[in-house]
Amino acid sequence: MSQPVWILNKNELSSGSVRRFDVCGNPLAVYNLDGVFYATDDGCTHATASLSEGEIVDDDCIACPVHNGTFHIPTGQAMSFPCEKALRTYKVIDQGDSVAIDIHAEADAASDVI
Amino acid sequence: MSMRQVFPEVPVDRDTHHRIEQFLFREARLLDEERWDDWLALMAEDIHYWMPTQENRRRADKAGPYGPDRGALYDDNLHDLTRRVTRFKQPSAWAEDPPTRHAHVVSGVEAYEGERAGEYRVHSTFVNFRTRVDHDNYLLGGRREDILRLGTEGLRLARRKIVITQSVLLAKNLNTFI
Amino acid sequence: MCNSSETPTRLTRRPASSPVDEMDRLVDMASGRMSREIFWDRGIYEQELDRIFSRCWLFVAHESQIPKPGDYLSTYMGEDNVLVVRQKDGSIRAFLNTCPHRGNKLCFSEVGNTRQFICNYHGWSFAIDGELKGMYASEAFETSGMDKSAHGLHPVAKIDSYKGLVFATFDAEAPSLAEYLGDMRYYLDAIFDMDGQGVEFIGGCVKSIVKCNWKFAAENFVGDALHAGWTHDSGARAMVGGPVAELHKTPGESYQVNFNGHGYEFNQDIVGNCASLGDKELMKYLYTLQPEVAKRHGEMRSRLIGAISSCTLFPNTSFLPGQNTFRTWQPRGPDEIELHTWTFVNKSAPQEIKDRWRKGTMITFNPAGVFEMDDGENWEYSTRTNAGYVTRQQDLYLGLGMASRLQGSGMPGNVFRGQINEANQRAFYQRWHDLMKAGRWSEVPRRDEPTLKEAA
Repeated sequence: MSQPVWILNKNELSSGSVRRFDVCGNPLAVYNLDGVFYATDDGCTHATASLSEGEIVDDDCIACPVHNGTFHIPTGQAMSFPCEKALRTYKVIDQGDSVAIDIHAEADAASDVI
Repeated sequence: MSMRQVFPEVPVDRDTHHRIEQFLFREARLLDEERWDDWLALMAEDIHYWMPTQENRRRADKAGPYGPDRGALYDDNLHDLTRRVTRFKQPSAWAEDPPTRHAHVVSGVEAYEGERAGEYRVHSTFVNFRTRVDHDNYLLGGRREDILRLGTEGLRLARRKIVITQSVLLAKNLNTFI
Repeated sequence: MCNSSETPTRLTRRPASSPVDEMDRLVDMASGRMSREIFWDRGIYEQELDRIFSRCWLFVAHESQIPKPGDYLSTYMGEDNVLVVRQKDGSIRAFLNTCPHRGNKLCFSEVGNTRQFICNYHGWSFAIDGELKGMYASEAFETSGMDKSAHGLHPVAKIDSYKGLVFATFDAEAPSLAEYLGDMRYYLDAIFDMDGQGVEFIGGCVKSIVKCNWKFAAENFVGDALHAGWTHDSGARAMVGGPVAELHKTPGESYQVNFNGHGYEFNQDIVGNCASLGDKELMKYLYTLQPEVAKRHGEMRSRLIGAISSCTLFPNTSFLPGQNTFRTWQPRGPDEIELHTWTFVNKSAPQEIKDRWRKGTMITFNPAGVFEMDDGENWEYSTRTNAGYVTRQQDLYLGLGMASRLQGSGMPGNVFRGQINEANQRAFYQRWHDLMKAGRWSEVPRRDEPTLKEAA
């Protein structure tokens, strides 16, 4: 397992919210869904847009603020028009009071296709 | 989308279908001829006569274009219908004198067995032409979904839902029944 | 609840056009005489779009119609289609319903809730605050150096609300809404703030087309109690089994009040309008409520809550207490309006009472309503006769009640004795005349100064 490179305190992101963090020059969207943390690229795969400015919908999807297309947060899969290409996800390791985001590894769930 | 109970559509036999069709065509003629009392006599005591207004909402909007307890052009029981007829019969109904010329066209009649014995669920389309004075020409089209009931005195209208295509009524009034 | 003032840089306005000649010839309210041309002439109408509809405060929504962030409705200010959108911070914003790229209509639904407005043409996407967030093929625009912040939606100049009624204006120089409504607020409180909880609009918007000039409808509701006894005889007989009350026989018991073109005519019978719905439960509700309203607003205003009355807020929004219909006459050229109507009820009323009022306005004041059906033809043909070249050179009469001004009544605004009167209509056209002659708000004569405090 490669070295995790970035740490976030859990209390910096409340449940049910998403925020953008710039990690080594890469904009990521970090999500807290009922205490479980996820991370994806912040940029939408469809058009220039920041997913962290969008809304969490249907419990575990992110709706892009520009054209309302949705991605499944745990797997990055594109869920609805106009999004077609999956979102890059990142492995998030729970460390108790904090989480570590490994920008060199994808989320384990990314291999699941809905 | 309207709230719709899904139940099997069992067509009525040919004689019953003919009878129902003639009922609807005669009803339309009574309205063309301004025979208001004869028309009211076709209503069941518990008639609900409903023409909701149509809202332009997006398909994904669960509220749908219309619904009960929302906007309506008619949302009447028998008493309400009677009051409207009372106005039509007044010599002081200035907007009815000279009279409007009406043609109520009914088509596409489908008749199915209703949920209760002696009741029928009937679909039809309509086009309503009205002309007043010299150039006031109004056209209104849409669909009707009725429940007809067969009693000792013949068929009666127990429920009517009228869905028009217009969301803005393209007429200054609607001085008839559909 | 609403954003007001600061002049947005995204709304372009040109100076007013030069005035139509002979405006003084067209309207002479001192002698109760007016020209028919103001109901027919296209040049006058275009000037109205400039000097009335893109300058005055216009009704756009009731707060109850858009309660949650992202809630929106599509309406009109004059002939400009606007979107009225509830913001995340609880404020309300309004924008022209058009994409700034090539001008396509942006939102085709008339009501709903959304996270963004997306144009069908090139996928330009706007947040609910009007900002351009992105578009289809965004990389191409980025390569060409486009600055998105300069291409958001065009906001109205000002938006504000009074007792839940939301108004907007395209003119950054317009007085505040409170000053614009002025002393009319005293009377609005009796209807829209009976018990501190205010009203809500129910049942959606019912729309129809009437081929008449907007001013015939607005003047009818501003002060024409007279027509009810003749035009609506058939409706009254249908709903209550008898004719309309002979209001002209009791002029001491009714009034017309106007303020800068707004007008309210009323008597003091508490339930006269409501009675025309033929529903005793509604009358009982008002009778029970009236003493409570008297404690809050005094005896005179408490007797307005369902009385024989009507009101127009200049220029084109009207309502009827008691029947509880609220409406805007949206101009569509000099010879057509699109009528938008709503039903309003006290928020605190029991659900059963609200349902009865929704049904009541449905059977009386909508296109199939037994009262409204007779108005349309009067207004259409009052407009249409002016196609005649010679006909439109004849003057019209507006002289009823010339010497009925009351002084010292204790009521705010200009007060006149007897609701069978044309004083409010004269004041309406005087205001119309003043606005049509003025190049900007600072040139509009300040005939009526508010006596009520700024924040009532």
